[in-house]
Amino acid sequence: MDAATPAKKKAIIRTDKLQAYYILDMQGTQKIVKAVNDVSLTIYENEIYGIAGESGCGKTTLLKALFNDFVPPMRLTGGSIFYLLDGDREVDVTGLSPDEMRQLRMEYISYIPQGSMSVFNPVLKLKETYEDFVGSHRKGQSREETFELARHQIEVLGLPANVLELYPHQLSGGMRQRVTIALASLLRPRVMIGDEPTTALDVVVQRGVIQMLTTIQKDMQNTIILVTHDMGVHANIADRIGIMYAGKIVEEGPTTQIFSEPLHPYTQFLINSLPKFGDKNVRGSVPGSPPSLADLPSGCPFHPRCPHVKDICRQQMPDFSHPDENHKVACWLIGEGNHG
Amino acid sequence: MTFLKRYLIPRLIQYVLVIWLGITAVFLIPRVLPSDPVMAMIGMMRARGSTLEPGAMDDIIADLTEMYGLEGSWLDQYWAFWGRLFQGDFGVSFFNFPARVNDLIGNAMPWTLGLLLTTTILTTVFGNIIGGLAGYYSKKPWARTLDAIAMVIRPLPYYIFAFALILVFGWVVRWFPITGGASIGAQPALTWPYIKDVLWHAFLPGLSLTLLGGAVTFQTMKLLVQNVNAESFVQYAKLSGVTEGRIVSKYVIRNALLPQITGLALSLGQIFSGALITEIVYGYPGVGMLLYNSIIRADYNLIMGITIFSIVGITTAILIVDLTYPLFDPRVRYY
Repeated sequence: MDAATPAKKKAIIRTDKLQAYYILDMQGTQKIVKAVNDVSLTIYENEIYGIAGESGCGKTTLLKALFNDFVPPMRLTGGSIFYLLDGDREVDVTGLSPDEMRQLRMEYISYIPQGSMSVFNPVLKLKETYEDFVGSHRKGQSREETFELARHQIEVLGLPANVLELYPHQLSGGMRQRVTIALASLLRPRVMIGDEPTTALDVVVQRGVIQMLTTIQKDMQNTIILVTHDMGVHANIADRIGIMYAGKIVEEGPTTQIFSEPLHPYTQFLINSLPKFGDKNVRGSVPGSPPSLADLPSGCPFHPRCPHVKDICRQQMPDFSHPDENHKVACWLIGEGNHG
Repeated sequence: MTFLKRYLIPRLIQYVLVIWLGITAVFLIPRVLPSDPVMAMIGMMRARGSTLEPGAMDDIIADLTEMYGLEGSWLDQYWAFWGRLFQGDFGVSFFNFPARVNDLIGNAMPWTLGLLLTTTILTTVFGNIIGGLAGYYSKKPWARTLDAIAMVIRPLPYYIFAFALILVFGWVVRWFPITGGASIGAQPALTWPYIKDVLWHAFLPGLSLTLLGGAVTFQTMKLLVQNVNAESFVQYAKLSGVTEGRIVSKYVIRNALLPQITGLALSLGQIFSGALITEIVYGYPGVGMLLYNSIIRADYNLIMGITIFSIVGITTAILIVDLTYPLFDPRVRYY
């Protein structure tokens, strides 16, 4: 996979200092959980972007925020989210009405959930689910046209032909996951966001799912944002990776660079914990545990776990430094002096 | 075929067995109670002032025992009891002697069925729809208001609530009668004045049952909906821009209704035993009132007649739910 060349590409989805906080009222005192904290992401057309990080780092909140889906207690407390509509018009979707936003879902940006047992309505045959999902967007289209569209896609993707006539509980986990991907891509959206689509599947099925995602992406030339903690999946599929820690992106770069020369100490821990051929040493893990998003450490949130911690780390969050054009990292150890 | 062998036939055998056990229990329980219907009848005669010679007393006891079908051992009585039951004959009532139990139940059942079928249907339809919507839109002011009202009504003891309605509507403003199923002396007929009279009398008992039952259904449904609302298929549909109308009806309420179907069937089955407190408070001439009186007076035959209706009603309702459930939930299959 080639390293992305941002200069020539258009940003299909972009966030600017995005803040998504959970504001909880606990016995009169307000508790603020800073799940997404000043995240500025630029994701381009025709790439697969991976978002990695451990549980509780704000991945899922970031995903919901990218969908502009703010349900209390989760609130948009600052920043903007831009979609590139009609090919060249950048629109801040936080200002759209609920119905305008609803129409963009599936047509512009679609969601690939984890194919769990309850991912489809258990009392409906899958063709009814297809009809609900597609019929909500294509008002004039008849049921038969919807089913024809679905059957054609199912044939192209090599899924069993009778799948539309089945109930969700009659599918295996891997098959359910593939149907969610098929359904999410049916209206040819520009962006597809996958929420742990390979988690809870065995590795053989995982491979099939990953191949299906790449096939669809190559065919539609669109963007896939993949949220998973599984670095192995990122290595296989992503063009670029953003590493998330405590509600912030701490490092971002092309997949090959992230794996060959990780710069942030947290990224280094993540990469070094992966098993390698021929290396019989015990894999280390990141010391300590992730901080509470309701009570973040001062300065760089990673400093209590960082083996290279310096005084400034405890006082101030570093800005990004750019070791090269495509690679950025927020760490006081890297490119000292560039941190504004 | 496998359905027949592996599910239907064992299920039907179980159905018959449950009814048999229930009826046997009903036969035994009054017989171990300390009240003796024969002695109770003699007590009633004495209370009316008749004095009896010791010899005459023994004759009367023997006659009453024979008429009541209490001759011989319990086993003999049991066989005779089943023999009559298969002819659809519940025998005579001990205390409305010589009225037949069949006629007594036949007179009371239409009142109970009319009242309870209507309130059960109203409770189910309105409780589930309003509760479902209030669960989905739980943050809206109208939903919070309804929830607050339900929270006040539901824990009220039913008899106090029923008396309060009588006091307000029957005594203070006098819009509705305070007792009875129809005006005294009204001739039962399928005419508008008589139907109006019956509806007028049924209004307060109906209102008390509908409001209290509706509050329970409302609260259960609201909680069920909030649970379903957090399921991943609802989140998926929302993030895929499925229209709100489809999500509320086909995704949320449709799935939350599944447990409610069982509840509805059980309350339909219980209709046959009447609504005891309602009928006593409102002096309503239904089966509940009849059952209450029969228990106080150890009227074996009447107790058995009513409870057999109730046993068959509930077991049949459960059988019907079991057999039709796959139509509502495709995950349930019996083969």
